[in-house]
Amino acid sequence: MLAVQVLINALLLGCLYGCIAIGFSLVWGVLNVINLIHGSFIVLGAYLAWAAYQWLSIPPWFALAIAAPLFFGLGYLLQQLVLNRVITAPVLVTLTLTFGLDLILNNVMIYYFKADYRKLTLSPPMGSVSILDVVVPVDRLLATASALALTGLLYLLLRRSRIGRAIVAVRLDRDAAVLMGVDVKSIYAIAFGLGAALAGCAGVLMSLIFPISPLTSATFLGKSFVVCVLGGLGSVSGALAGGLLLAFVEGFGSTLFGPSHAITLSFGLLIIFLIVRPQGLLGRKGFE
Amino acid sequence: MTRSNLALLVLIACVAALPLFAGPYALRLGTIACMYAVLALSWNVVGGFAGYPSFATAAFFGFGAYATGVLLNDGVALTLSVVAALISSFALAALLGTVLLRLRGHYFAIASLSLVEVLREFVNNATDLTGGGMGLNIPLTSGSGILADASFFFFAMWGLLLATAFVVIAVSSSKLGFGLACIRQNETASNMVGLNATLYKSIAFGLSACFVSAAGGIYAAWVHYIDPSDVFDILYSVKPIVMALMGGLGSPFGVVCGALLYLGLEEVVWRNYIQIHSGVLGVLIVILLLFLPHGLTSLRTSMFWRKAKHV
Amino acid sequence: MSIPGKSAARAAGLPRLLLSLIVAAGCWQFSAAQASAEDVIRFGAPLPLTGPLAPEAVKQQQGYDLWAEQANKAGGISVGGKKYKVEIIYTDYQSNTPRAVQTTEQMITQDNVNFLFAPFGSGATKAVSSVSEKYKVPLIAPTASSAQVYDQGYKYLFGTFTPNDTLTTPLTEIIKAKAPEVKKVAILARNDLFPLAIAQEMEKSAKANGFEVVYFEKYAINTLDHSATLSQMKSLAPQWIFVTGYTNDLLLVRKQMVDQQIKAPVVTMIAGPAYPDFIEAAGQSAENLSSAAWWHPAEQYAGKDIFGSTSNFVKLFRDKYKSEPDYAQASAAVCGAIFQMAIERAGSLDRDKVRDELAKFDTVTFFGPVKFGSNGQINSLEPPVFQIQGAKPVVLSPQAIKQGEFRLGVN
Repeated sequence: MLAVQVLINALLLGCLYGCIAIGFSLVWGVLNVINLIHGSFIVLGAYLAWAAYQWLSIPPWFALAIAAPLFFGLGYLLQQLVLNRVITAPVLVTLTLTFGLDLILNNVMIYYFKADYRKLTLSPPMGSVSILDVVVPVDRLLATASALALTGLLYLLLRRSRIGRAIVAVRLDRDAAVLMGVDVKSIYAIAFGLGAALAGCAGVLMSLIFPISPLTSATFLGKSFVVCVLGGLGSVSGALAGGLLLAFVEGFGSTLFGPSHAITLSFGLLIIFLIVRPQGLLGRKGFE
Repeated sequence: MTRSNLALLVLIACVAALPLFAGPYALRLGTIACMYAVLALSWNVVGGFAGYPSFATAAFFGFGAYATGVLLNDGVALTLSVVAALISSFALAALLGTVLLRLRGHYFAIASLSLVEVLREFVNNATDLTGGGMGLNIPLTSGSGILADASFFFFAMWGLLLATAFVVIAVSSSKLGFGLACIRQNETASNMVGLNATLYKSIAFGLSACFVSAAGGIYAAWVHYIDPSDVFDILYSVKPIVMALMGGLGSPFGVVCGALLYLGLEEVVWRNYIQIHSGVLGVLIVILLLFLPHGLTSLRTSMFWRKAKHV
Repeated sequence: MSIPGKSAARAAGLPRLLLSLIVAAGCWQFSAAQASAEDVIRFGAPLPLTGPLAPEAVKQQQGYDLWAEQANKAGGISVGGKKYKVEIIYTDYQSNTPRAVQTTEQMITQDNVNFLFAPFGSGATKAVSSVSEKYKVPLIAPTASSAQVYDQGYKYLFGTFTPNDTLTTPLTEIIKAKAPEVKKVAILARNDLFPLAIAQEMEKSAKANGFEVVYFEKYAINTLDHSATLSQMKSLAPQWIFVTGYTNDLLLVRKQMVDQQIKAPVVTMIAGPAYPDFIEAAGQSAENLSSAAWWHPAEQYAGKDIFGSTSNFVKLFRDKYKSEPDYAQASAAVCGAIFQMAIERAGSLDRDKVRDELAKFDTVTFFGPVKFGSNGQINSLEPPVFQIQGAKPVVLSPQAIKQGEFRLGVN
């Protein structure tokens, strides 16, 4: 029974991890930028949900609809005004730039929201359902469903829409895309905006589950790293697969070896993956 | 010896004059400055010369701090402990390098980043040896006066900086340095012309680890108390990179200048803006990168370029 | 960044830039030294305003500020018939121990502080005390409880928290007396200095009192999910679940316990439930959680310090911050009050004289009776055990301030 419970826990958590990482993965895959501001975007999204619920009584499900365009705009502008200026510079420059941007955003959040932990507590609480001794928390279930819906939406967008096709084209071969008449700069901005929107939405969903504070941004970012590498860069299904794998390793690792070893295990796995299968679970070889 | 390497040695020599006129707090800052210069110079070997974006600095810093701390607690002398940390980290890094340096670009960055996490959690869980999350107390090495103590650790760190600078300069003008430059420009091609890239990269990774580890060791003896989240702080990986970028990638002189400039900025900002210092630092980093993307050393060359273009 | 001129920039751009920076830093230091005025006593207080401990910084600062405000309202601290205003110098040590050490030396040598408050927690306090000891500056630690902090034979270090076992022992005794059917204990600790130390004390006192420890695990500092751990714990059916950590960890663990429908007769958490923000954020799920702390607003001491009675301190705190004080804020405030009394008794700002007054300090304050042992750690305090009942912490022990009976069952 314990094994089944741990399995269910991991399944739910894995989808949430995928949701956390997907925006990060998109930006990395398309723009070749390791976006260190991602974690702070998630936290900002969580604050948005918290404020909407606390002050305006807007439930998190509707806050998603506010967060998505807001964060898209924020990301779009950030890319257009700041990142595009150095987008051709070496990896380290863009990385350090997002590091600086993250310092700014995180400091702003500490300044305005203070560092103490908030919690979005729905009243009445959603509780959990139990089926044959296996317990499933309802809020996690709903958050997982929304996360899946979001990723599905992104998948459709990338597959079916004109802009989506252009994004995928730039991701696969930037130079060829330019020759085909794709405006790479604006595609970059749209992709970064999408990444930010996904981070904001992830934040809204996470606000249901985790305590909110500017200090948690580094943890979200760390998870995104691992998930991305495990699953493979830039692909929607890869992020989900990576999230699930990470959650299984953490879950069964901490059950078997004790929770203090869970992080060691997940990072050990990450290094092994990097060496043996750098393209990730579902990634295509040769894409770096 | 090139002019810029000479300038580096002169700069380091100037730093040594600090105890002549400074008090203990300035000496503390000087010690930190030397420490970061060591970190940045070391990072430059693998990051600047070979072009591999390593985030492993914090891993080796923590490794050195704990190796030295544990040895000091067993009654081994400070010098011996630091040397032991230096040699063992060189071996460890060279060994890890043969595996990790097969990865390129972002993948290597992430692998080196996870090395920090793995080592930290390892130390965290090896409670018997390291005290785990409780931290490790390190016996005081000297009970002499405030100023004597401060000067002792300043000169220890400064000596390490000098040694690092000599080695880095030697590397840059040797066959190894040439090989690393080839690897940075085109690794596949260098492999084809018969360069043993794996060996070169492993040595570079080892060199970039050993002085960092020694710095960690001196640091541990200096502060008397270390815990995993302090010495495996990811900022020890990030800051040397920012410093190198500020100063100019690849040039040892530029990197050390970048370290001094970064610490100066950080100190001034940190003191004057108690609530918003990290935000202000972020703004400075962004501005520097946007307007000086190739660091301080580009101040000079870019002047030439612009002229040449208009001719 | 301006460049003086093309040719100059080419030849000397970099050195000049560095030089001007050094000059700028030097000027700045000079002006800081100039600013020190007469008739002021300066206290240095390093705070973790950013980084993982940031929530604690807010609490400490509230305590210090309240004390400084009260002291200055009364005209200041009187030293040999002359009144001195209180000035507190805050710095941010970024939750980073080396930074705390650095800023302590900076405050002593650059800001010329007279006395020092310690940073948050045992680890940083221990590191900082080696600096204050070198400079012979009295240092009072508001939040350092581990006995290892005080075993270095330092003469200038004092602390207002009793050792960790003074929290776990009374707790264990109450549970043993009130819930005799409770036998199996599960302990989950954050792998960090204070939470781990208190969990180890708990294990010791549980075993000494005949409990069976069925589970003892540590979780890593940035753990985002405890569901696997909790499921495993649930399968062992412990009757007493004991979790240590900071507010965020405990909120997360508590939330996931509810999610997993883990129920137990006794659930103890340290150090969250003492904080009003924990109770507010945990809501209904905080009900019947037990905990222990070094101070509680329900205490009733008639102090001889500037705050007087405990109830007066609580009132002043409520007026200023519109919330209930907890032990962290009270401890910070009492550190100031203790300094004030010691300085007034010494009749001098001489650090050694004030240190001697602290060493022989034996006075009741709003925080409780304060007397430091020969190692500098307070030994006169009896920490209260309490339980959240009706969204309020209700004191169960010591007998003198008991407010209610222990209730079984956490759902």
